Amino acid sequence: LSASAEDDRLALLASIDEIADGTVLLGETVARLLEFVVPDFADVATLDTISPEGVFRRIGSRVEGPGREELERALLKRRPIPDAPVGLPRALASAESQLIERMTENDLHAIAADESDFELLRALELRSAVFVPLRARGRTVGALACGVGTSGRQYGPDDLRFAEVLSGRLALALDNAGLSAAVTGLEQRLEATLTNLAEAVLVRDSGDRIVFANDAAARLLGLSSVDAITAATPEQLMALYDVYDERGRAVTLADLPSARAARGEAAHPLLVRNVIRATGEQRWLLHKSTPVFDADGSLSIVVSVIEDLTEVKRAELAQRLLAEAGQALSSSLDYGETLQRVARLAVPGLADWCAVLMRGDGDELEQVAVAHVDPEQSAQARKVGAEHPARLSHRTAAAQVIRTGRARLIAEVAELPDDPWAQIDGELLGFNRGVRMRSAIIVPLAVAGHAPIGALSLAMADSDRVFDEMDLALARELGHRAAIAVENARLYTERSLIATTLQRSLLPPELPDIRGLRLAGFYQAAGEQNDVGGDFYDVFEVPGGWMVLVGDVAGRGPEAAALTSLSRYTIRTAGKLLGDPVAALEQLNAALRERPGLSLVSVCCALVRNVDGDATASLVLAGHPPAFHVHDGIARPVGVFAPFLGAYESGEWRMVTVRLEPADQLVLYTDGVIDTVGEEDRFGEDRLAATLRGAPDAADAVARIKEALTHFARGPQVDDVAVIAVERVRAAGASPSEQGTVRVGLERERGGWS
Amino acid sequence: MDVRRIGDASVLVSARGDIDLSTLAKATAALDDARAGATTLLLDLREVGFMDTSGLRLVIEERQRAASNGYRFAVVPGPRKVHRLFEIAGLAGDEELFVDPPPPAGGERA
Repeated sequence: LSASAEDDRLALLASIDEIADGTVLLGETVARLLEFVVPDFADVATLDTISPEGVFRRIGSRVEGPGREELERALLKRRPIPDAPVGLPRALASAESQLIERMTENDLHAIAADESDFELLRALELRSAVFVPLRARGRTVGALACGVGTSGRQYGPDDLRFAEVLSGRLALALDNAGLSAAVTGLEQRLEATLTNLAEAVLVRDSGDRIVFANDAAARLLGLSSVDAITAATPEQLMALYDVYDERGRAVTLADLPSARAARGEAAHPLLVRNVIRATGEQRWLLHKSTPVFDADGSLSIVVSVIEDLTEVKRAELAQRLLAEAGQALSSSLDYGETLQRVARLAVPGLADWCAVLMRGDGDELEQVAVAHVDPEQSAQARKVGAEHPARLSHRTAAAQVIRTGRARLIAEVAELPDDPWAQIDGELLGFNRGVRMRSAIIVPLAVAGHAPIGALSLAMADSDRVFDEMDLALARELGHRAAIAVENARLYTERSLIATTLQRSLLPPELPDIRGLRLAGFYQAAGEQNDVGGDFYDVFEVPGGWMVLVGDVAGRGPEAAALTSLSRYTIRTAGKLLGDPVAALEQLNAALRERPGLSLVSVCCALVRNVDGDATASLVLAGHPPAFHVHDGIARPVGVFAPFLGAYESGEWRMVTVRLEPADQLVLYTDGVIDTVGEEDRFGEDRLAATLRGAPDAADAVARIKEALTHFARGPQVDDVAVIAVERVRAAGASPSEQGTVRVGLERERGGWS
Repeated sequence: MDVRRIGDASVLVSARGDIDLSTLAKATAALDDARAGATTLLLDLREVGFMDTSGLRLVIEERQRAASNGYRFAVVPGPRKVHRLFEIAGLAGDEELFVDPPPPAGGERA
């Protein structure tokens, strides 16, 4: 394949990935998938699905060239005969792909159901064809058939391999578009999901009938039951309400997105003020509708989702604040840090001061967050808070709120002469002694059904503003969300034990047997159970070889474990599909960039090929120290330095290839090895190279590293350590049956060097 | 970590010893303190004996924060062993990231 044709094919795969994210509906997905396949890769293509019971359904066809539309229609109706010895049925029955390089009339006869079917196939002028089963979630879900002829192209083994990669992507795209669900009872599942959804959902058919509504829809529209909706026509339903747009103009049924979608027009979301005539109750509703088409392009149903935006319209600013707070709350598991960020968000927009007190073990209340526009004042308040901790038994408003769980709004502090808290100052709220304030709000930090764990206080001082009920409602919501975030953080701590187990399960249980190669590995996690690190390694088969890798995710704890899982499975999937380490790392980079915040992962990934006595290793580094190639007893670093994955939108990760002579080893390791702390120094790359000098085989290489680290290390182990060595088996004179498959086990230990 | 203001809005953070998992919290706090009000933030690594990837991550994060919040962040390169880490991360050739050391503190007092 020429370089430019290779590029085209990669572009084709990338395009398919774009629509493979499951956001596009099935019918559209199929049409667009086939557009990518024809004409770039084929002149004719069809896509079939097969149910677990073995029932075929042709879901798409595409033909390039003269008579195109007629042929597409005929192909769409065509049903392959079940017992044909070649073609689709065979590909499906054997779950193996099939290449027919030169299509003969005999082949066509074998595939054709009858004479007219034969004529149809002949009209396609096929010269070669490939038939590839689509596999998703461990089962054959369909098949892709591609043919070339009219363009003068011919398929070879390379094209078959490409079609296999393509089919992997197609299977994924179809699976994401809900194909598997469609085959196994999409409707029941969908209905169950929709029924329980918090958003209101209405489905109308291509006629004028509402065929489905969920409970949330009934509630939102002020109706007693779902049946009251489905029994009515859209007109009858509409008559129950006065509907206006944002400018106060009346909205008719025909203006609603669902009606527009049914008419085939663009259905933009529409925000309306919906007044229930009977009760006068008023709500702001956002209508969003999506048409769903059948495979033949005709309208099947219109799905409408109605969002209740009443609260948002009432306090858009408040909502924005909550959204930002939500982001801050979900971005960290360290709740001290999280609450400090929330406090900072609240000033100066919502208040001049914000502080959070949390219950400690006994009587003590800990000031975990305090914010004022002026950082000097916050620092001062923090200092005072640390020196004079508030107490639950104190007669202060904050303590009272924590004890009772009841929020408090003190609109005008000065107007409370008889209140025991009339001597209001900062101490009362847990801010700072001597801060005079005009207006205050204190809300409990509590999760529904539990005693408060603390209090969030807001105060107006310098700006002379005064709080009202609306601010109180917002503060309550803020307190509620903060409490949930804190609870989540605590839960996560408990779950970290599970995360440890998870991380262990993320490592492959055993190193595989690979003909002609020997593997040895060593993994040692640092620290205690609650302090999970993020080293990982993996070895798996890819088209044309084996991928061997080690990686390290930044950070520790359950977050690191989650990132490890994402990293390992992304590289595994992409590696198996693409067979190319650079492409696999690019996929992981893209996945990491989609995560909120900065997720950095370092990887050293090698593709090891061993074909006809010629073994090579192609190695890529991303933010990772070099691997070592041990040849003739000398260890030399291998790899081109390149950025961490997750650091930038794109990067230049470059592959270098080394030949593996018999007895050569390639040693991959994580930075825990070279960063190991010794008496005066770290272990370092130079010592590692010296350690590997003269290593006769993979098992010995790993044993040497382990022994050297044990002797070198002083103090507790701080970082995880992972090492994997690949050795090409010394094969001189040995018969093939005696080579390879001698497996050296993986040693796994934990905690400490002693 | 030593934080020193140089000029009106430039802050120099001089790190000493090791920057690794065990000292990361201190280093993070020092940068947090230094950042407020600074238009230029310099991290001096000349006195750093060892740095691991957690230190590097700190630099990458600070750099991203600087880019989105509109201040300048630069690093005074450390000894060879520390700089090796920037090489590994493909950052060694990044001219925007590295600067020469500022004049010593004595000059300010004079």
